[in-house]
Amino acid sequence: MPDKPVPPVQPWSEPFWAGAREKRLMLQKCASCNKYIFYPRLGCPFCFSERLDWTEASGHGTVYSYTVVKNNPPSSFAGDVPFVIAIVELEEGVRMMTNIVDCDPEAVCCDMPVEVTFEPLTDKITLPKFKPLAKEGTGNA
Amino acid sequence: MKGKIAIVGIGEVPTGRYPERSGIQCAIEAVRLAIKDTGINKDRIDTVIPTAALCSPQFNTDLVTGRVCEELGLHVRNNVQLFAGGATSAIMLKVAAGLIATGVSEYILFLHTDKLGTDVSPQAGIDLFATAGISREWEMAYGMHYSAVAGLITQRYMHETGTTPEQMAAVCVSNRKWAELNPNAMFRKPLTIEEVLASKVLSTPLHAKESNMLADGGAAFIVTSAERAREVTERPVFLLGEGSRVTHYALSQEPDLSRFGWAVAAKEAFEAAGLSPSDMDLAELYDSYPVFQLVALEELGLTRRGEAGAFVRAGHTWPGGKLPMTTNGGMLSQGHTGAGGGIAILVEAARQLMNKAGERQVPGARFAVETATGGTYVDAHVTILGTEIP
Repeated sequence: MPDKPVPPVQPWSEPFWAGAREKRLMLQKCASCNKYIFYPRLGCPFCFSERLDWTEASGHGTVYSYTVVKNNPPSSFAGDVPFVIAIVELEEGVRMMTNIVDCDPEAVCCDMPVEVTFEPLTDKITLPKFKPLAKEGTGNA
Repeated sequence: MKGKIAIVGIGEVPTGRYPERSGIQCAIEAVRLAIKDTGINKDRIDTVIPTAALCSPQFNTDLVTGRVCEELGLHVRNNVQLFAGGATSAIMLKVAAGLIATGVSEYILFLHTDKLGTDVSPQAGIDLFATAGISREWEMAYGMHYSAVAGLITQRYMHETGTTPEQMAAVCVSNRKWAELNPNAMFRKPLTIEEVLASKVLSTPLHAKESNMLADGGAAFIVTSAERAREVTERPVFLLGEGSRVTHYALSQEPDLSRFGWAVAAKEAFEAAGLSPSDMDLAELYDSYPVFQLVALEELGLTRRGEAGAFVRAGHTWPGGKLPMTTNGGMLSQGHTGAGGGIAILVEAARQLMNKAGERQVPGARFAVETATGGTYVDAHVTILGTEIP
């Protein structure tokens, strides 16, 4: 089986990947129009400002859509089926492609609450993935 | 743009698996058919515009560097490649309008040829398309590929509209009923909803029989000014209106997976043509997966939101129905030849309007709406064609 594709790192996306290595989901935020930005850009795609800051996201979001891959995936994912590809909308309003992990694939549904988790791919690249949001209030007081 | 240019001739070779027929043979045969269909001397063609062939970079370079012109003895002023993935067909007409209106070109030959059915193995086809319009930085590492693109879109569309699996499968049946009447189609055996739903699941909720099949094929068409068109044919197919939007590159950045940019593109196109959705005799809608025909039916205003599935299931888009849809069988049944999938749909729209569609001819068809989109459905192109200028 061929190796998994590894995302290339651009100079302006390096803080995102540095954050992921430390299990922090980092987003750009425009200092001019205050909008959150994903994926990382050289300039703000809303107001064209170049004053972009980095901020840590809450890591919480919902599943906008998903699909359970069962057959005929790309060669390098042949050993992974079934797996879940999803578009997650973060609390900050941006959307990202990801996998839903740590749950039964059949339990995933649209609008389901999820939280970020991190899976190392290489020494440099750790992929943010998502898992069902742990229910609150189940711990002992 | 309304009524300024027209398609005056078409040619197409059968779509399917033809290992004995090379890519250049597909191109030459399709072009010869188109020139004969137009009835003009080949020397009147001054511009040749092939689109990209994905099967081989070397063969594609043949097309870029004028091989088709030389093989056919076409002594032209321009040979240039034009490629916008599945949206190429619509963009060809817009480029033609510009070149012809400015006098750069008089007769433009557009062509497509590819060998995705036999020069590329099925797994290599999946892997090739998994690099086409899917972000290496933000999507590929999660296992993205085209069945998953269709799965993500179909899931959200069904979630929002309540469309059922049976209704989704009915789109494939509608396309197949047309392909049964199309000698150039790859799949012509009758198909039932039950067979679609019994086929294996690729990426939920997408079944194998709801997925297109990569194929070999070739098509060509010739465009000229409306004035010249009337001189060479009694039934030119005029470009009446077009509208379009590019809404994303990475699929995750598409604002609305159940709508895309179709509504605004359609509004522009119908306004330009001075026609409304109810004037359309034909809906030649880009498929590749059934969800796109349902989204287009709704967003173009051909049905109401959430009602396209029931509309197709009731047989309204089948042969004899009130709104014939994708009458060549689409990529789901004629076969998917890369950029040619959309070109085959445009050629079919012209064929129907020229009254040359044989067994599947829609009687008296005057106006057709056609859609085209490329990559992960990054753009929405709506084109209105007609045999008269209203």
